Amino acid sequence: MTTNDIAISVRGLGKRYRRGRRNKSNSFREVLVDGAKSLFGPRAKAVDDGPSPDFWALRNATFDIARGENVGIIGLNGAGKSTLLKILSRITTPTEGTGRIEGRLGALLEVGTGFHQELTGRENVFLYGSILGMSREEIARKFDAIVAFSEIEDFIDTPVKRYSSGMYVRLAFSVAAHLDPDILLLDEVLAVGDFTFQRKCIDFAHELEKKGATILFVSHNMFSIKSMCQRVIYLKRGEVVFDGPTDEGLKLYETDCRLAVAPWFHPDPDTPVIDITDVELIGEDGERKQLFEFGERMTIRVRYDAKDTILDPDIRIGVNRSDEVHCSTFSSVADGIGLSALSGQGEIELTTPPIKLVSDLYTLTISVREKKFGRLVVARLGETFHVRHPVFASNAFGVFNEKGNWKIASDNSAGMYTLMPRVSAKDNVS
Amino acid sequence: MSVLSTDRDVPSGLPRKGSRASGYDLRPSRGLFDLELGDVWRARELLFVLMMRDVQVLYRQAILGVAWAIIQPVFAVIIFTIVFGHFARISSDGLPYSVFAFAGVLIWTYFSESVRRSATALVTDAELVRKIYFPRLIIPLGSVIAPLIEFSIGFVILLLLMIWHGLYPTWHLLAIPPLLLVAGALALSMGLWLGPLNVRFRDIKHTLPFMLQIWMYASPIVYPPSIVPAEWRWAYSLNPMVGVIDGFRWAVFGQGQLNLATLGVSLVMIAVLLVSGLVFFKRQERVFADVI
Repeated sequence: MTTNDIAISVRGLGKRYRRGRRNKSNSFREVLVDGAKSLFGPRAKAVDDGPSPDFWALRNATFDIARGENVGIIGLNGAGKSTLLKILSRITTPTEGTGRIEGRLGALLEVGTGFHQELTGRENVFLYGSILGMSREEIARKFDAIVAFSEIEDFIDTPVKRYSSGMYVRLAFSVAAHLDPDILLLDEVLAVGDFTFQRKCIDFAHELEKKGATILFVSHNMFSIKSMCQRVIYLKRGEVVFDGPTDEGLKLYETDCRLAVAPWFHPDPDTPVIDITDVELIGEDGERKQLFEFGERMTIRVRYDAKDTILDPDIRIGVNRSDEVHCSTFSSVADGIGLSALSGQGEIELTTPPIKLVSDLYTLTISVREKKFGRLVVARLGETFHVRHPVFASNAFGVFNEKGNWKIASDNSAGMYTLMPRVSAKDNVS
Repeated sequence: MSVLSTDRDVPSGLPRKGSRASGYDLRPSRGLFDLELGDVWRARELLFVLMMRDVQVLYRQAILGVAWAIIQPVFAVIIFTIVFGHFARISSDGLPYSVFAFAGVLIWTYFSESVRRSATALVTDAELVRKIYFPRLIIPLGSVIAPLIEFSIGFVILLLLMIWHGLYPTWHLLAIPPLLLVAGALALSMGLWLGPLNVRFRDIKHTLPFMLQIWMYASPIVYPPSIVPAEWRWAYSLNPMVGVIDGFRWAVFGQGQLNLATLGVSLVMIAVLLVSGLVFFKRQERVFADVI
């Protein structure tokens, strides 16, 4: 399968890990007892760990990626995305299957791995460049461009241990950006640094794309995937469940996220006081959907079926980000809705203010409490939605973003002035 | 954001359509002797850069800097000279004891430093191993090359000390590079065995210091091999460092006989350890990233 147009080709790739083996058989004594047979490779001791301690982080991955194609890898945490990238970049070997990589491959699984704290920025450029696979001559040639891209010229001879984390990441990314790979594996590293720098990184990725590089991109940010990739590979529990056009793949992924809801929570499952029978998310256009634009209002429609009367209920709808950060909670009591009782079947509708949450995946939790006792009578987890914004993402902008009013007084010049968003020193002149 | 579109900011010249030499296969297992030494050769610049990093970092922010490289062996020699040379009056084959001990300590320090570093370097660089691909062999390889710098400094001091004692080097000095190669190969083979074991069992890290200490006293460093009873000589020369240290003294002082039999035993043992170590290392290498 090494036709001229194939950059990555894999057949039946799989990786098996052993569960809990660190505690069980990793003592020196045990190996001494086992003798030399176990020293010559992991294969020798496959069946001595009791009932099925193995699990497949990746199984049966088969696909071809053409030269110049941009492919997004999606899937929930633990679906095998990182394992796939690690195998493709040769960090670890597959347990089964084969593959072929054509061309120079650059893997950015984590920006800045290999930087040494004690060395200066300049020394680290050479160190990190070599680690990524550049020759010294190549680094020397690109050195000025790398430093200019990172915008930390003044600190290039300072040990990186004195850098801020932002400077550190900028320098590391700048080196990586000048690697000129034929194939680039990216694990959510595009989204580093501040706003201006992020734009630069996105532009860099598009530039690479234009020049015909093949990019494999792992991200939770559906917006980035949509804007960069025509094709997605969707991994679920280690298997490729979808490989095709981005729109279709994302739809499937979003549906799966929605179906992956945790079961109902009932404090007393045998005699439920109230059931939540359906939850719908509706956009401003009145359509049911999962993907919301930043600043859009969301309507959450909840159908319930109360078997008993709940006095003074407090209906709460919470929003949790994909990394389990609790972002916000709407509470009927806090909002001053004096509801005396909930009984029979009905519908609750909450329309949120314009969503100012940053780009990410969110999960709703819906719960009903008796106000008087604060007792939880029902809760439902797992309704998910995406918010998208080209810039505001959770890695750099926290939980939400609202415009502020700026007023900046300078002691050096007379009077006050409002600042336009600063892009770079050179742009300030115009 | 006009800056962004200039050539200066955006890397140019990719991808190189013509350069199809790069590329590789992914497969679950290799042949026992598929050692991929070509990959190591291609990564020689990284090997050099990682070595430079270790050397730069070792003596940075230390007032005495590289001087530390020789302070340790010099102090060891002073202590040995007092304890073994003056108090115990151990024979030094007719040489001034301090010079005699210095030669032994010097080559031994190179060897033990190489073993220590090559056995622990994989774990020290765990982050690299976990996140980035490169031929793992360059880690133990770099660990046995870097201590040559300290050795060279120490060697100059040894020569000065010899001249001060009225001893002058002979053409035997030419034997030093091959002897260093032998010592390096032995250290490397130890590293190839101990490094992967240390990845799995950190016990190695704790065992290593006293293992090396015992090995040191089992080698002719503070005493000459002639002190060993004749009937035990054969067992004694099974220690591959005996031939190396003996040979090193012969090369430095230009006196006595080169014991070719002892050296021959060393060479055979080193060859066996090195080849088996390479195979072992390559087998274990595949799981480094998962276990480390």
